[in-house]
Amino acid sequence: MTSAVTTTGLTKRYGRRAALSDCTLEIPAGHVVGLVGPNGAGKSTLLQLACGLLTPTEGRIEVLGRPPHTGSGRLGFVAQDTPVYAHLSVADHLRFGAHLNPGWDAALAQGRVTELGLDPSQRAGKLSGGQRAQLALTLAIAKRPELLLLDEPVAALDPLARREFLQGLMSYAAENGTTVVMSSHVVADLERVCDYLIVLVASRVRVHGDVDELLGTHHRLTGPRRDPGTLGPGRDVVLASHTDVQSTLVVRSTAPVDDPSWASDRLDLEDIVLAYMSQAGADGRDRVLEKR
Amino acid sequence: MIWLTWRQFRVQAWVAAAFALAIAAALAVTGPHLFDLYQSSGLADCTTDCADLAENFSVQAGTTLNATLYAVGTGALLLMPALVGVFWGAPLVARELETGTHRLVWNQTVSRRRWILTKLIGIGGAAAVTAAVISAVVTWWTAPLDDANVGPLGQELFSARGVVPVGYATLGFMAGVLIGMLLRRSVAAMAVTLLAIVLVQVAVPYFVREHLTTPVTSSTAFDPAKIESLGIGSDNTIKVKMALPVEEAWELSNVTAGPDGEEYTGPVDPAKCGRDAGGPRACERYLGTLNLTQKASYIPVDRFWLLQWRELGLLLAVSALLAATAIWWINRKVA
Repeated sequence: MTSAVTTTGLTKRYGRRAALSDCTLEIPAGHVVGLVGPNGAGKSTLLQLACGLLTPTEGRIEVLGRPPHTGSGRLGFVAQDTPVYAHLSVADHLRFGAHLNPGWDAALAQGRVTELGLDPSQRAGKLSGGQRAQLALTLAIAKRPELLLLDEPVAALDPLARREFLQGLMSYAAENGTTVVMSSHVVADLERVCDYLIVLVASRVRVHGDVDELLGTHHRLTGPRRDPGTLGPGRDVVLASHTDVQSTLVVRSTAPVDDPSWASDRLDLEDIVLAYMSQAGADGRDRVLEKR
Repeated sequence: MIWLTWRQFRVQAWVAAAFALAIAAALAVTGPHLFDLYQSSGLADCTTDCADLAENFSVQAGTTLNATLYAVGTGALLLMPALVGVFWGAPLVARELETGTHRLVWNQTVSRRRWILTKLIGIGGAAAVTAAVISAVVTWWTAPLDDANVGPLGQELFSARGVVPVGYATLGFMAGVLIGMLLRRSVAAMAVTLLAIVLVQVAVPYFVREHLTTPVTSSTAFDPAKIESLGIGSDNTIKVKMALPVEEAWELSNVTAGPDGEEYTGPVDPAKCGRDAGGPRACERYLGTLNLTQKASYIPVDRFWLLQWRELGLLLAVSALLAATAIWWINRKVA
C-alpha cells in the first residue's frame, strides 16, 4: 500500500502554543480517508501542512512522495469554511480555475455546476453555504488532483446540504479513484463516505484502519465485574468502566468473544471513535469522560 | 494569473483611468489659452528682472478656473501615493488573508511567488503609469504659473512635478502591500499605510532631497546693491541678508558673516544705522566698510532634472526593496 501522506514527528508551533506536536502517521493512497478527532486535535493544522500552506516547525511531512508546497497541480484543497471570492460570479470562478490550472477539466466543472443547478451569473457571495461548499469542491476537483484534501467541508452546512455534498464527493471519488482525505469532528458525516478512518486526539493517532475492519473487530462486552487484564491475549481493552457489580468494556479483538459470562454487542463507528477519544481523555487531562 | 489580477483590479483600474483622463482633458482644453497668455505677457521670453511681468501674468491668469485646476492637478499628484497605498496596496494581500481566499488561490496550480509578482508588477505598473500620465499633463500645464510664482524647486511642488510622482506612487503601493501582509487586517493596514506615506512625503523634501546633490557654496564680498533684507534691533543688533548670486535657486543657507567668519549681528554704530541715523544709504555705506562676506549654500535651478531623476531612482530602489521583502515574506511567513 502506497502512502498519500507520511509524517514523522511533525510539529507546528505558534509562539509557545503547539497546534500539532510530534505527530507521526501514514495516510494510505486509494482510499476515502476520514480524519476524525475533537476540536483542537490538530486536524486543520495537519491538512494545511499537507497542502503546503503551513511549514512545519519540526519534523517531516511528505505528500505524494515529496515535501508539500502550495501551487501544486497534484493536490486539491478545500479549506475550512470553503472560501470563495464573494464578488466574483460562479462563471468567473470557473474561468479562475481554467486560467490558474493547466490540468483544468472544463467539462467536469461545467457539468457539476449545471447538475447542481448553480446560476453561472450569480455572485458567489450570494450563494447559500451548501452551494458555496459545492463551488469550492468543484474548483478543487476540476483541477484533477491525485489527492484531495478537505478541511471540515460540511461543518457549516445543514443536514440536507451535507448529504448532497457528501454524495457528490463520494460519486466523484468512486469514478476517479482519487485519494480523498476529509477531516471532521462529526463521525456520522464520515461514516457515510469513508472507507478508512484515522482518529487523531491531541496530535496522536489513537486508531487507524479500514472502516469495515474497525467495525468487525470492536465489541462492547458487558458482564459481572472483573479485571480487564484477565481477558486473554489478542484482545486489547480500549475503554473500561465499572460499577459495583458490573464491568463494561470496549475491546478490540480479532478472535470472536465466546465467553458465555459476557454479553457481546457490536459497536457502530461513532461508538468506536468515542471510545478512543475517551481513552485519550483517561490518559491525561480529561478524566470526566471515563466515569460516564 | 494576469486574468485574475485584471478581474480583481478592473474596477479600480477603470476609476483610475477615468480620473486621469478627466484631469488630462480639463488641462488640455485650458492649456493653450494659458500658454497664449504666457507668450503675450512677455514672461515666456523674459530672462532677467522679470518680477513685474510675472506679477502681471499672475493677475491675468489667476482666474477661478485656473486656480482650481492648478490646485486639483497638484493636489491629485500629492494625494495619489496615499490613495494608491491605502486603496490598492494595503488590502491586496490583507483582504485575501481576512476572507480566507488565500487558501483558495494558493491551492491552484500557481506558486505564491508568481501570484504576488504578477500583482505587484500589474497593479504597481498601473499606479506608475497613472502617476506618469497625470504628472506629464500637470507639469506641462503648470509650467507658466510655476515660472511666475515659486519656481519648480519649491519643496512641496517638486513632489508634484516631473518624474518623481511615479516614484511616490510606486512606493506608496509597495508599502501598502507589505504593511497589509504584515498586519493581516485591511483597515489597520490602511491606517498605518496612510501614516507611513505622509511621513515619507514630509521626510523626503525636508530631510533627504538636499543630500541628493552637492550644493553650490559661495563666498561673496558684501555688495550694498544686493541687500535683500535689513533688520535693525533696538539694541543695535542687525540682521543682513543678501540675494543669492544666482537668480533662481533653492536656498539651503545664506548668512552674512563678519571678518571673523561668524554670522554678523552687530552691534552697529547707532549714528550710522538706526532710527536716528541718516537713512538706509548711510547705513549701507557703513556696512560696506565692515569687510562683510555673504556665505551661501544653494542648489541652482538648472539641477531640477538631475534632482528629479535621482529622487526617482531613490524612491524606486526603496520600492524594489519593499517588493523583494514582500515576496520573501509571502513564501516564508504568511499562511
